[in-house]
Amino acid sequence: MPKIQNKFRIISNKKVCQRFHRLCLDAKAIAKNVRPGQFIHIRVSDGITPLFRRPFSVFRARKGIEILYETVGRGTEILASRKSGEYLDVLGPLGNSFSMPPKGTRRVVMIGGGVGVAPMLALSDALAKKGYELVLLYGARTKGHIFKMDEFKKNGCKVFIATNDGSVGVKGYVSKLFSKIETNPQSTVVYTCGPHPMLAAVKQFVLENNLRCEVSCEEVMACGLGACLGCSIKTTDGYRTTCHDGPVFDINKIIF
Amino acid sequence: MNLSIQIGNLKLKNPVTVASGTFGHAEEYYDSEEVKKLGAIVPKTVTLHAREGNPPPRIIETASGMINAIGIENPGADVFIKEKLPFLRKIGVPVIVSILGHTDEEFTALIRKFNATHGVSALELNLSCPNLKNKTLVAQDPEATFRIMKMAKTVSNVPVIAKLSPNVTDITSIALAAESAGADAVSLVNTFVAMAIDIKTRTSILGNITGGLSGPAIKPIALSMVYQTAKKIRIPIIAMGGIATTKDALEFLIAGASVVAVGTFNFVNPRAPLEILNGIKEYMREHKVKNIKEIIGSIGHKHETR
Ligand SMILES: Cc1cc2nc3c(=O)[nH]c(=O)nc-3n(C[C@H](O)[C@H](O)[C@H](O)COP(=O)(O)OP(=O)(O)OC[C@H]3O[C@@H](n4cnc5c(N)ncnc54)[C@H](O)[C@@H]3O)c2cc1C
Ligand SMILES: Cc1cc2nc3c(=O)[nH]c(=O)nc-3n(C[C@H](O)[C@H](O)[C@H](O)COP(=O)(O)O)c2cc1C
Ligand code: FES
Repeated sequence: MPKIQNKFRIISNKKVCQRFHRLCLDAKAIAKNVRPGQFIHIRVSDGITPLFRRPFSVFRARKGIEILYETVGRGTEILASRKSGEYLDVLGPLGNSFSMPPKGTRRVVMIGGGVGVAPMLALSDALAKKGYELVLLYGARTKGHIFKMDEFKKNGCKVFIATNDGSVGVKGYVSKLFSKIETNPQSTVVYTCGPHPMLAAVKQFVLENNLRCEVSCEEVMACGLGACLGCSIKTTDGYRTTCHDGPVFDINKIIF
Repeated sequence: MNLSIQIGNLKLKNPVTVASGTFGHAEEYYDSEEVKKLGAIVPKTVTLHAREGNPPPRIIETASGMINAIGIENPGADVFIKEKLPFLRKIGVPVIVSILGHTDEEFTALIRKFNATHGVSALELNLSCPNLKNKTLVAQDPEATFRIMKMAKTVSNVPVIAKLSPNVTDITSIALAAESAGADAVSLVNTFVAMAIDIKTRTSILGNITGGLSGPAIKPIALSMVYQTAKKIRIPIIAMGGIATTKDALEFLIAGASVVAVGTFNFVNPRAPLEILNGIKEYMREHKVKNIKEIIGSIGHKHETR
């Protein structure tokens, strides 16, 4: 898998809701090779503040590479200020990817918490029109985190939403939606990405129902290449790098 | 144009390399065609036995720098020699292996293991990792530095380099100890002991509590340490500490370093070492410098003191 570091032109960089932006890069070279669950590592400014690149899951890979990001600090705020026509230094595609559902799978349940929903669109792009029943459970803090779910729906996903304040969908955590799905250990698989408390709830849910589940993990990263060993997390196989061994792991292997 | 540098009996084709621990074991680096052009490569420090490393979080971004407490996670010398070294050898650039022993005996055992392999061009003794909960580092004690270097020089078949810590009162005294024990070169600096606190939980953010500061933030201090050291010793200095650009690298060379190593900045721009190498060549052309040695230690003084 060739990794590319290059400057790519920003096609568009727009707010899609109060909290999220969507960035589209003219990065065909990366789009060609990327698999769902992989990420790109963006240098948001040419200077040394902030120093590190910032990792973002691929939201969509079609003509270009798209990411969905939440502005949470200096790096993402700088990113939000970058204009179409400008160039961004991008390294990618990085990391492993979601494995495709095993034979016999009928229902695919995607559980996204906040901006952790981003890799699920790329995944649903790969799984659309393959005969699976696709379900997306999306947990957001507030209405400010709700964006148009049309693209998920076009891929055939049934979309269920929970917000902490009840402003959209069911009130409460995404775990409130677990009862919406019928599960069968032989034919249901789960993919998830989101904040740690949510992942812990998902882990409990899949354990109780004996389901296969892959999780995409997020850690602070420096190199993104498996070189610095800075993004390691504890797994049942010992420390593993999120950027190179992950970001996707079997949820049962992660020690939260 | 002559860019070559001699370290003991090892000849580097140019003075640009990478700092240990910032380059993995090279296979992670994205383009080995580009790696080929470097003067040497220095993989992550290897210990006698495997180490699993420190609990996460292991890194924190700081103002123009980072703090790390990786804890020398590595597969141990035997696995390194069997699984990593063949790939490193194949790149075709001198490989400088960084080793760390917890005792004099471990250092001896490590050196013997590398004597028994081929394709290792030099050994760098990591005397200065701040993340191992030792009371004092070897490189904080001139006598221990002398003793271990003396032993290493007796045992090793290849040139030996001492990697020094900046967490000392006077780094030149440690460099002198290494030189008088026969070191072929010294590397400076390793990271500065540092920490960061989470004000919500009132706990240290790093799993190891403290770590080491690196990156552009430390460059001016590292530069002055290289300058001070260059005035005192005759063996080559391999300089590292926040090098990000050609200008940074040239500053270190002018201050007296013979080799420059890119560390933290590899994470930001994996192409930085090559860009710096090309930048040095351009500078030499522009200033009509035929031999890199004309730059090394060429610092003059605007205000000579009497
Ligand atoms: C594999 C991977 C994929 C990701 N995908 C996306 C995505 O698709 N969309 C998106 O919006 N974000 C994603 N993130 C998180 C994103 O990288 C961080 O939000 C971003 O780096 C924050 O930068 P900042 O300078 O704005 O925030 P900072 O000022 O650096 O930090 C602000 C807050 O964000 C937290 N944070 C910082 N870096 C990370 C990180 N790497 N992971 C998690 N939390 C972090 C900090 O702890 C702090 O609380 C992903 C992270 C990883 C590791
Ligand atoms: C993540 C990380 C890991 C490191 N690991 C090692 C190591 O294994 N052995 C070593 O001698 N130095 C190690 N260092 C120190 C660097 O080699 C270098 O001396 C130091 O970071 C200063 O250079 P820089 O500012 O360019 O990074 C490490 C530094 C970083 C940032
Ligand atoms: S970020 Fe460097 S190993 Fe993952």
